[in-house]
Amino acid sequence: MPGKGLLIVRQRSLIAITAALAAGALTLTACGSRDDDSGSDSGGGTTVVIGVDAPLTGDLSALGLGIKNSADLAVKTANKDKVVDGITFKIEALDDQAQPSAGQQNATSFVANKDVLGVVGPLNSSVAESMQKVFDDAKLVEVSPANTGPALSQGADWQTNKVRTYKSYFRTATTDAIQGPFAAQYVFNDAKKKNVFVIDDKKTYGAGLAGTFTDEFKKLGGKVVGTEHIDPDTKDFSAVATKVKNSGADAVYYGGEYPQAGPLAKQIKDAGAKITFAGGDAIYSPEYIKLAGSGSKGDISTSVGAPIEELASAKEFIANYEAEGYKEAYEAYGGYAYDSVWAIIEAVKKVVEDNDGELPSDARAKVTEAVQNVSFDGVTGKVSFDEYGDTTNKQLTVYSVENGVWTPVKSGTYTG
Amino acid sequence: MSGVGPVEPGEGTRAWDAPEPGAPLLAAPRRGRLARLYARRRRSVLVTAIAAVLLAGGGYLYATRPQEPPPAAAVYPSLVVDVGYLGEEPLPAGASRGAFSFAVKVTTHSGPPVTVLRVTQPYSGISLSSAPRLPVRTAAGSSHKIVITMHVTECANVPQNAGLPFLDVTLRNTRAMQVHSFILGERYAHDLSEALRTYCGSEAASGV
Repeated sequence: MPGKGLLIVRQRSLIAITAALAAGALTLTACGSRDDDSGSDSGGGTTVVIGVDAPLTGDLSALGLGIKNSADLAVKTANKDKVVDGITFKIEALDDQAQPSAGQQNATSFVANKDVLGVVGPLNSSVAESMQKVFDDAKLVEVSPANTGPALSQGADWQTNKVRTYKSYFRTATTDAIQGPFAAQYVFNDAKKKNVFVIDDKKTYGAGLAGTFTDEFKKLGGKVVGTEHIDPDTKDFSAVATKVKNSGADAVYYGGEYPQAGPLAKQIKDAGAKITFAGGDAIYSPEYIKLAGSGSKGDISTSVGAPIEELASAKEFIANYEAEGYKEAYEAYGGYAYDSVWAIIEAVKKVVEDNDGELPSDARAKVTEAVQNVSFDGVTGKVSFDEYGDTTNKQLTVYSVENGVWTPVKSGTYTG
Repeated sequence: MSGVGPVEPGEGTRAWDAPEPGAPLLAAPRRGRLARLYARRRRSVLVTAIAAVLLAGGGYLYATRPQEPPPAAAVYPSLVVDVGYLGEEPLPAGASRGAFSFAVKVTTHSGPPVTVLRVTQPYSGISLSSAPRLPVRTAAGSSHKIVITMHVTECANVPQNAGLPFLDVTLRNTRAMQVHSFILGERYAHDLSEALRTYCGSEAASGV
């Protein structure tokens, strides 16, 4: 019977094809699962807390949240990769609101938590001054991703007699001892500005940076046609703007941060002064450009390190940061915060390995000692510290506002 | 006994599961050309289908085989090169008055070779020459000594006390060509300032 025969043929062929497809599918399934690596966020039984101190609210929160998120990413990565056997890292982030008093309270809080074996932060040099002694007394290591005030590591007389005051203080950002002069060289030689009006916010960072800029600018033959200090708690700079306009300056150098720098630059230009506005790493933020408006074209900032997007070592960091879906950008110090956390993780690893796989009773002191000797390839390049606790990576970049974004125009490295 | 039984088909209705009178018991499907062809070539078709599946599986396995990651792109030359100040050098024969010679060591730490294309300095009152003549190529792990001679052309445009003077060095590797500033440090600043002050100071005193 032809109909029945055809059915049988169909069934047999269907079985054969199904079997072949099943065999293929099983093979492919086996193939697909061979590299399957289910990562875990748990590294082991002991929890080590790494404190993060930064301005998480207020005007400077864009930079602070970039630091916090990047620290979080470093800890997640270390736990996933089980970088230290038996240790799970955790961050505890406290908001210093860019205020020294809040920073000091946070330092005391970190010291009181016995699980905290290191702290990353703060952003502001003035806040760091209030925290250093608290940490040093407790032998608790502090690694700042952003402080640039030279005195923090090299003592108050750093220009004539460098002395390290706090053995527990380290930083991954280079200092204003290099940043100020490098900016002066660029403004004088490359931007060809010979008459500069220098303004600062009277804070540790701002006044220090304005000072190192001024010294070098004068040595090069430039003229400082005026100086002013502003009150960072106000946003009305009309009186200063008028003084700048009447000074004949062709550039303004500002030692301070972007929340004031943006409105200051805008008001000076709106007053009719034909100037280029320049500043340090604390104005190197997209927020400055937003605040300064369309007149910010050609303005100049310097910032620590090479442009992070140029670093092969930063590619993975940038990809992972995006994959984590953080709401805020990593900003100027994200890569440095990641490296600061990683320096502490590397130190914990060394201490644990030297103590038969466990944390010793004097873990804080041991971790501080170990940070001094870390050396690894980080997001921002080679990470290690000199005899003052300063980074050995002394690179700087000059940026200019082009098409509404900070664009790198010159990079330099201190090799002295 | 209670309950409602199945509704019987009434007039003008029919049960759909009952065959129509006169309908064939099972309609033999009509065999198309493809079916007839398949029936004749059944073995070949099966072999071909299995071969296709295995080929596809093999292809997938090959495409997704574990592979070494592609070699990382070379990094920017400024990130693998050091330029360090070695100290003053004797002036080359025939150097003009007011010249100042010093040596730098260019070291490439890793990656593909880096070529030093040009060395300049930022002050308009000074010109510069170097020996050996540039370009100089430096392989990973090796260094080159370059002697630089600065010639003062105009004392008015020379800073005699720069704190952190630098050299602009044009570097090239397979990744990029970059002009990078190397700030050679306090010893260089001191030696340069002293040489410039000595020459330009005497020029000023002699009224030239």
